[in-house]
Amino acid sequence: MKKKDSQAELLKPKKTVTERERTFAMIAIPILILFFLFNTLPLIKGFIYSFTNFKGYGSYEWVGLRNYIDLFTDARVGKSYLFTVKLAFFTTILVNIVSLLMALGLNAKIKFKSALRGMYFLPNILGALVVGYIFNYFFTYIVPAIFHTTSILASGSKAWIAVMIVCAWQAIAMNTIIYISGLQTVPEDVYEAGMLDGATGWSKFRHLTFPLIIPFFTINMVLCMKNFLMVFDQIMALTKGGPAQSTESISFLIYNNGMSGGQFGFQSANAVIFFIVIVTISVFQMRFLNSKEEQL
Amino acid sequence: MAGLSLEHIGKKYPNGYEAVKDFNLEIADKEFIIFVGPSGCGKSTTLRMIAGLEDITSGTLKIGDKVVNDLEPKDRDIAMVFQNYALYPHMTVYDNMAFGLKMRKTPKDEIDKAVREAARILDLDQLLKRKPSQLSGGQRQRVAMGRAIVRNPQVFLMDEPLSNLDAKLRVQMRTEIARLHDRLGATIIYVTHDQTEAMTLGTRIVVMKDGVVQQVDTPTNLYNEPDNLFVAGFIGSPQMNFFDAVVAKEDDKVVLKVGGDTLALPAAKGEALLAGGYEGKTVVAGIRPEDISDEAEDLAKFSGTVIEGEVAVFELLGAGVNLNFDYADTQMTASVAPTTPARVGDVVRFALDPDKIHIFDKTTELAIVH
Repeated sequence: MKKKDSQAELLKPKKTVTERERTFAMIAIPILILFFLFNTLPLIKGFIYSFTNFKGYGSYEWVGLRNYIDLFTDARVGKSYLFTVKLAFFTTILVNIVSLLMALGLNAKIKFKSALRGMYFLPNILGALVVGYIFNYFFTYIVPAIFHTTSILASGSKAWIAVMIVCAWQAIAMNTIIYISGLQTVPEDVYEAGMLDGATGWSKFRHLTFPLIIPFFTINMVLCMKNFLMVFDQIMALTKGGPAQSTESISFLIYNNGMSGGQFGFQSANAVIFFIVIVTISVFQMRFLNSKEEQL
Repeated sequence: MAGLSLEHIGKKYPNGYEAVKDFNLEIADKEFIIFVGPSGCGKSTTLRMIAGLEDITSGTLKIGDKVVNDLEPKDRDIAMVFQNYALYPHMTVYDNMAFGLKMRKTPKDEIDKAVREAARILDLDQLLKRKPSQLSGGQRQRVAMGRAIVRNPQVFLMDEPLSNLDAKLRVQMRTEIARLHDRLGATIIYVTHDQTEAMTLGTRIVVMKDGVVQQVDTPTNLYNEPDNLFVAGFIGSPQMNFFDAVVAKEDDKVVLKVGGDTLALPAAKGEALLAGGYEGKTVVAGIRPEDISDEAEDLAKFSGTVIEGEVAVFELLGAGVNLNFDYADTQMTASVAPTTPARVGDVVRFALDPDKIHIFDKTTELAIVH
């Protein structure tokens, strides 16, 4: 009986592809090919190279998990992790505080609201490298000339602050917009009820505004953390990892030593670990912050 | 609880629009005052000015004996129930009700006592741990009410609190609010555009139009003796019928001439019209649908005020029937008994109760005699 059924199945005419499906395929397939060629394939190749001693040129040998073991003992890698995490942590906090304050201001009943919102969004449309070079000039020539000091970029202990300022300056724009849209979701009558209940000023923010925009806070925290952990352009334009490797971010180290330092295999392993770290942190953040979110 | 006094209250927006004009009202302690009127008449604006959510442009607002014009909403000792409830979505029912007291730094055990008492009154005991999103419309409405009750304020303000509920629930909540008023002995100011709510709940009703108070009176007086055409048309459902009529004198009696018809008026009404110098002038006559009858008994009784019209619409309501008919270039409605033989297309004779005819000045639209 079963056999008969499967035979009948085979005898059925083949399902023809409809015009509609063909259109969808024509749109999706080129993108899929591009995505595979420029994203998936390098990812797989990078993963494979992470088990070799490939220098980026010439021949190579399989070294098993050697690169991974070495990663944990490499001082330079450790230092770059410390710097990157420190930068990401403080910049995320700075960006979120400033952009939340800006959003509150730009959401208030002020004049020229739309124009101001547009102006504050400008940094976001500039390329990170361009911004980085402008700030490089600013920190190297203008700030020292005004305050008669040496450039902050030349200080091993303070250069990270310059990187933080540049990262924050640009990221605040997008975060502010996200917070503004969050604030607009809070119904006006909830604030009015709050006014009658006595929630004004800080208590209004603490008890009403903030709990109601936590979903937007989550998005901003996760996006910021992820973006700053992957910081690259700003480092490239400002310090190139200097002085004395004090501002060498993980991405920069992977690029620099992997591409021109003859450590392609080793840095591929670094990239794999870094990828896992970022995914872990993001998932953890989402889980933690989601638990604080309210189902409205 | 306390009374309120609104003296020459006005609201003018920066763009020049005057939402409320010279609003005067004394509200006694424990009164249930209704602001009623069509959309945009300024009733909600007035309520929001009392709450402190809108600035008062001119005039003086007193709660008790205290002028509160420039007082923050939280310092006015009032509670408000909003149209959309305005519950705090992230707080439980308990926290929603406790929030106002918490902000006032009331001791925890007192808060707990007040919240549980209010929950008991409103039958919310089982829902205290729920969030607003887990409640039905009626339950949310009760939480909003509870939030106001726990504060034990001087004055309760309610801004169309029942307008988001379905018809059945609205009737039920209306009864609950009436009961609550009796129980709490609270001063309540209630805004609505629903005249049934206004008539059933209010001890006094303020009818507004275009920012101007039209009449302040008890429901019965508003119904029986409306001050002007607007109030007469706004209060009552189906609304009062109006038609133009010329005042004339026939055999020493004052009558109304409508087309070829002559409607005899009671002596008192005739005298008032003559005293006002309306003889020979056109006035607006008004009569409520329930004061028009097609029964033989009434036709005999009110033989001096019988009119004729062709029935255009027959509306069976169960307990009664509304007959729409054309008369004197207007559409009139008669609320008659369901046993009426009249049907669409029939030419029917209707008797108007002459004692219930209201007469208004055509230009000023003010009532001349009821």
